[in-house]
Amino acid sequence: MNGTPVIQCRGVTVAYGRDVVLDRIDLTVPRGTLLPFVGPNGAGKTTLLKACLGLIPHQTGEILCDFGGRPPAYVPQQKQLDPIYPVSVRDLVRMGLYPELGCWDRLDSGQHARVEAVIARFGLEPHQHKHFGELSGGLRQKTLLARAVVTQADVLVLDEPTAGLDAASEADMLALIRALHETEGKTVLWVHHRLDQCAALARQVCRVDKRGARLADVSEVTT
Amino acid sequence: MSLLQDAVSFTGLFPEAVLCGTVMAAVCSAFGVFVVLKRIVFISIALSEAATCGLALALVYHFSPLAGSALVTGAVVLMLTLPERRQHLPKDVVLGTVFLLASSASVLLVAQSGFGLEEIKAMLYGDLIVSSPRDRWVLLLTGVPSLAVLLLFLRPVLYAFLDREAACVMGVRCWFWEGLFFFLLGLVVSGASKSGGALLVFCLLVVVPATALLLARRLWSVIGISMALGVLTTWAGLLTAYSADLPANPTIIGLSCLLLMSVALLRALVATFGARQ
Repeated sequence: MNGTPVIQCRGVTVAYGRDVVLDRIDLTVPRGTLLPFVGPNGAGKTTLLKACLGLIPHQTGEILCDFGGRPPAYVPQQKQLDPIYPVSVRDLVRMGLYPELGCWDRLDSGQHARVEAVIARFGLEPHQHKHFGELSGGLRQKTLLARAVVTQADVLVLDEPTAGLDAASEADMLALIRALHETEGKTVLWVHHRLDQCAALARQVCRVDKRGARLADVSEVTT
Repeated sequence: MSLLQDAVSFTGLFPEAVLCGTVMAAVCSAFGVFVVLKRIVFISIALSEAATCGLALALVYHFSPLAGSALVTGAVVLMLTLPERRQHLPKDVVLGTVFLLASSASVLLVAQSGFGLEEIKAMLYGDLIVSSPRDRWVLLLTGVPSLAVLLLFLRPVLYAFLDREAACVMGVRCWFWEGLFFFLLGLVVSGASKSGGALLVFCLLVVVPATALLLARRLWSVIGISMALGVLTTWAGLLTAYSADLPANPTIIGLSCLLLMSVALLRALVATFGARQ
C-alpha cells in the first residue's frame, strides 16, 4: 500500500468554459507525503486538488486516486461555511462521521469516544457547545480540521488552512498539521502561499504555474 | 372568556380554515428554516409567484388548481436545479425575471379571462377562511409527506447545504439532496398557494423561520420552534381577523412580522445591556 501513489494525473486538462486552467498535466503524488501546493494566485492550485477529489470535472486525461479505502477528508477555507447555520462545534465534528453513519445511524460508544478525543486533542472542549459562527477564525479552522481528523481518513486535503489567521493561530494550525503527518503518517495535501513555512515543514512542493503542475524540491521555490 | 368563546365559535364556523392554516403553517415554517439558512429567500418568493401563475392558468383554462400550480412551479424548480455553470446569468437575475414574469402573467391571464379584481386579489393574498375540504386534502397530501421526507433525511440535506464540497467528498450526494429539497419545496408551495396565496406562503417560508432562528440555537429546536410559531401566529391571526372583522391572511402576515420585529428588538436590547454589564 505504501508504495502506491495517492493520486496519479495523466494528461489532465481542466477548464472553466474556454478558460484552460490546467493543460495536460502529468503528476504523481506519493503516499505519506506532506505536500504543499504552491504557485501564484489563480494558477490553479485549488482547482487541481478539487479535480482530484472529483469536485470539478476534467476535460481530458485521467485521474487515478487511491485514498486507502476511506474517502479523503477535505478541509475548505473556513469562510466557505455560512456562520448563520445553527450548528455547534460538536455538531460539525460529528459531521465527519457521515461516511460511517449514513442518513440515520446514531453514534456508538466508540464513535462518541473518538469525537471526544478529537475535540480534546484540538483544545476545543471549552468551545464545543458554541455556534460555529461565534468562533474566531482560528477556532473555526481548527474545528474543520478536527472534523477531517475524526473521519480517520488517510489523506487530508486542506485549502489554505491558515488563510486569514493571526500569527499565533497560524503557528498553532501548522503545528497540528505537522503532527498529523509525523505522528500518524497522514498524507497531507494543502494549498499554501507562505514559502518560508513550506520549507520548514516539507521536503517537496507541488508547483502549480503556467497551466502546469510538477513536484519540485522545496529549495527550488525558496531560493 | 370572550377570547375563548370567539375561538370556539370560529373553529365551529370555519373548521377547514383552522385545519388548512395549521397544516400549511407547520409545513411551510419547517421548510422555511432551510430557505433562510441557504439564503434562498428570493427563490421562495419566485416559487410562490410561479404557483400563483399556475393557479391563474388553471382558473382560465378550467383544470385542477393543484395541477396548474404544480406545473409552473415544477418548471421553475427544474430550471433552478440546473448546474450554475450552464447558466450565463447570475441566479438572482433569473429569479427576478421569473418573479416578474409570473406576477404579470397571473394578472394578465385573469384580466383576459373576464374575471375581476377580486379574483386577482384572492389569488395574490389567498383567503384561508374560504378553504374547502378539497384544499385541506391537497395540503395534507402534498405537505405532510414532503415534511416527513425532509425530516427523515435531515442529516444529508443539512450537510449538503452547510458545506457542499466537504459533504460531497464524504459521499453525500449533494446534487440529489438539493434537487429533492427543491422538488419538495415546489410541491409544498404548490399545495399551499390556493389557500395561502403568494404572500402568506412567502411569510411562512421566511418571516416565521427567521424568528425561530433568533430564538433557538440547535437545528432541531429551530425547526420545532418555527413550526410552533407558524401554527400559533396562524391561529392568533385567524382569531384576530374573526374578532375584528379583518381579512385573515394579511392579519396573520402582520402578526408574524410584528413578532419578528419584537424578537429582533428584544435580542438587540439584551445584547446591548448584556455587553454593558
